[in-house]
Amino acid sequence: MIKLFERRRRITMQRIKKKKSPFIYKSYSKKPKHTWLRKRKAAERRFRFVGFIAIVISSLFLISLAWNIFSSGRSAFIETQIELPITFQADLIEKKAYRTIIQNALLDVFPDVNTRKEKRLLFVLVSRNAPYELKKIIEKNPELIGTKKDIWVLASSAVSIFYKQRLLEESKRIGNINVVQSAWITLLSQSKRMRTAFNFAFFTNGDSREAEQAGVLVSVIGSFMTILICVLMAFPLGVATAIYLEEFAPKNWFTDFIEININNLAAVPSIIFGLLGLSIYLNFFGVPRSSSLVGGMVLALLILPVIVISTRNALQTVPSSIRFAAAALGATPTQVVFHHILIYALPGIMTGVILGVARAFGETAPLLMIGMVAFIADVPKSFSDPATTLPVQVYLWANNPELGFVEKTAAAIMVLLGVMVLINLLAVYIRRRYEIKW
Amino acid sequence: MARFERLIRSSLLACTMLSVMVTVLVILSVLSETVNFFSNVSMLDFFFGTEWSPQTASHVGQTGSSGTFGAVPVFLGTFLVTLIAMAVAAPLGLYSAIYLSVYASPKFRSWAKPILEILAGVPSVVYGYFAVITVAPFLRAGGEMIGLSIVSESALTAGVVMGIMITPYVMSISEDVISAVPKDLSFGSLAIGATESETVKKVILPTALPGIVSALLLGVSRGVGETMVVVMAAGMAANLTINPLESVTTATVQIMMLLVGDHEFDSDKTRAAFALGFSLFVMTLILNIVALIIVKRYRERYD
Repeated sequence: MIKLFERRRRITMQRIKKKKSPFIYKSYSKKPKHTWLRKRKAAERRFRFVGFIAIVISSLFLISLAWNIFSSGRSAFIETQIELPITFQADLIEKKAYRTIIQNALLDVFPDVNTRKEKRLLFVLVSRNAPYELKKIIEKNPELIGTKKDIWVLASSAVSIFYKQRLLEESKRIGNINVVQSAWITLLSQSKRMRTAFNFAFFTNGDSREAEQAGVLVSVIGSFMTILICVLMAFPLGVATAIYLEEFAPKNWFTDFIEININNLAAVPSIIFGLLGLSIYLNFFGVPRSSSLVGGMVLALLILPVIVISTRNALQTVPSSIRFAAAALGATPTQVVFHHILIYALPGIMTGVILGVARAFGETAPLLMIGMVAFIADVPKSFSDPATTLPVQVYLWANNPELGFVEKTAAAIMVLLGVMVLINLLAVYIRRRYEIKW
Repeated sequence: MARFERLIRSSLLACTMLSVMVTVLVILSVLSETVNFFSNVSMLDFFFGTEWSPQTASHVGQTGSSGTFGAVPVFLGTFLVTLIAMAVAAPLGLYSAIYLSVYASPKFRSWAKPILEILAGVPSVVYGYFAVITVAPFLRAGGEMIGLSIVSESALTAGVVMGIMITPYVMSISEDVISAVPKDLSFGSLAIGATESETVKKVILPTALPGIVSALLLGVSRGVGETMVVVMAAGMAANLTINPLESVTTATVQIMMLLVGDHEFDSDKTRAAFALGFSLFVMTLILNIVALIIVKRYRERYD
């Protein structure tokens, strides 16, 4: 900067000595632009460009994240089925040998499969859960016993991935399917015995060892139960704390201490709350391990400072004229707060609570520490039953080495992000619809 | 009526005390286990030992423990990953903040800011998945092209993804700080003919420096405490290395490893997790307090 002025001054002085006008702009019109000016302008452009690139890179991260999840997750919403000519033999049904019935049907389709090894390869084409589905069908329609009928059964996840890959991009990728099996699948699809359908099971099932059967319902329910506990605990506590600090607390060192405490709580890593849950809730109070109750209690601690801080901000925005007006009409201090201030601050408080809930909804680490990491296939019946949440389910599936779970993980993330978007939209809606601009 | 008032007031106070109790509980619960741990394992061994293998004893007859707890590799790993994360987040976040607050048109801002806010709202487990599925293979392929062998659980992968995660955080704080610089200063600089970039570099940034330092400190504290990304993308074994291409472990990963699953609760192994947790807590607390103090001083100067 200083240099620039030096330079400019020198040029001006020279011009005055030569008895020319001291204004430099005339020198621009005669000579080519000064290199130092060009340099400065170039530096300006460079700086601006780097800033722009920084934003572009961040956006690219988001786009590649979204694209990756979408491209690997979309196929999870499609399931593959195989049509088998099932003979409902009464004696086999009596013996509950549903698996044998399906295996016989497979052998009917491929009569030339004889060796034990080939049979094993053939049988894994169908989902391991197919016998249970067959059982349900028979229980629903007992008149089928003794007849023969074509039934669509679920294919195994390896077959499903193979088949869908082909449908999507005609690629030759084979994955877990070997050459013989791939020939069979081709045969099945040529004879129109294979089809794809929307995977309703993904939304109605819980976790499963078989990728083709795994769904998110149980974890979504677990998430909502956990959030319910979390809000029930954190909302009253947080709002009451904020009201006290903002409206009633005397100005002294103790109030300052409380304030510092709560602000610091907001910055504590979430894993520390997991440690707390483990040592206090589980070992000291004996809250049932892995339950949505203890999960909610841990998450409540996590969002408590968020709620306190946002409630205080909301209370602060209510103008003091409201307060004075109410007090002038004879309202007591608590009446002023509860009948007037709080009502006006409510939209702001709700927005803060919802954003806190969004944070709690995506939290994983502390829940893993209090044992919500177990394999849960059934909907928890009460708050003390073992439960799992959606992000934990994502973590579990991401750790599963089986190929079929990759798409499931991405699909679960899509559901997770979808719910997060909905929560945030709700916050935006409340803010737009109810917030009062003073 | 007065009694009713008092009742409400005291119940509000009770709620506040309960909230404060939480902090006390956090400290007490973690501290008590940590004290227990240090009664079995010497503090010197923990903070200066270079071998971390909590599962096995290093030599027979080691005092009342089941493994060796030298936390240097763990802390070094945490430091390394956080450093890489900040190497990504600091320039990205800072330059984005500068561009948004100095150059960007209102229209550009209105779509660029939400994008960065979305990045901040994505749950960390999603970043973990992204690291494992996309970033790790990508970096590995990139490394092979220039003749480097990058292990799939490298510190680089975890650090880069964590950096992406912290970027919007650093950005939003630095943007606040930059817009808090009095307009007179930058107008003065522009009026004497400085270009916008010269104004930013020579006037705005020096003025906002304390605030930016605290934004970076808060970013570091975020990175140190981050769990899911490193659990999924970083390694489990404690290697004493500062090579970003190799696998390292972090304090949060070790806490997870030691405590997830059905362990008996009263062993040195689980207590070691609490000792790590306590160190983590103290570290983030110091970072945050320092950052807050800096910001407060800075605000006071210009408000």
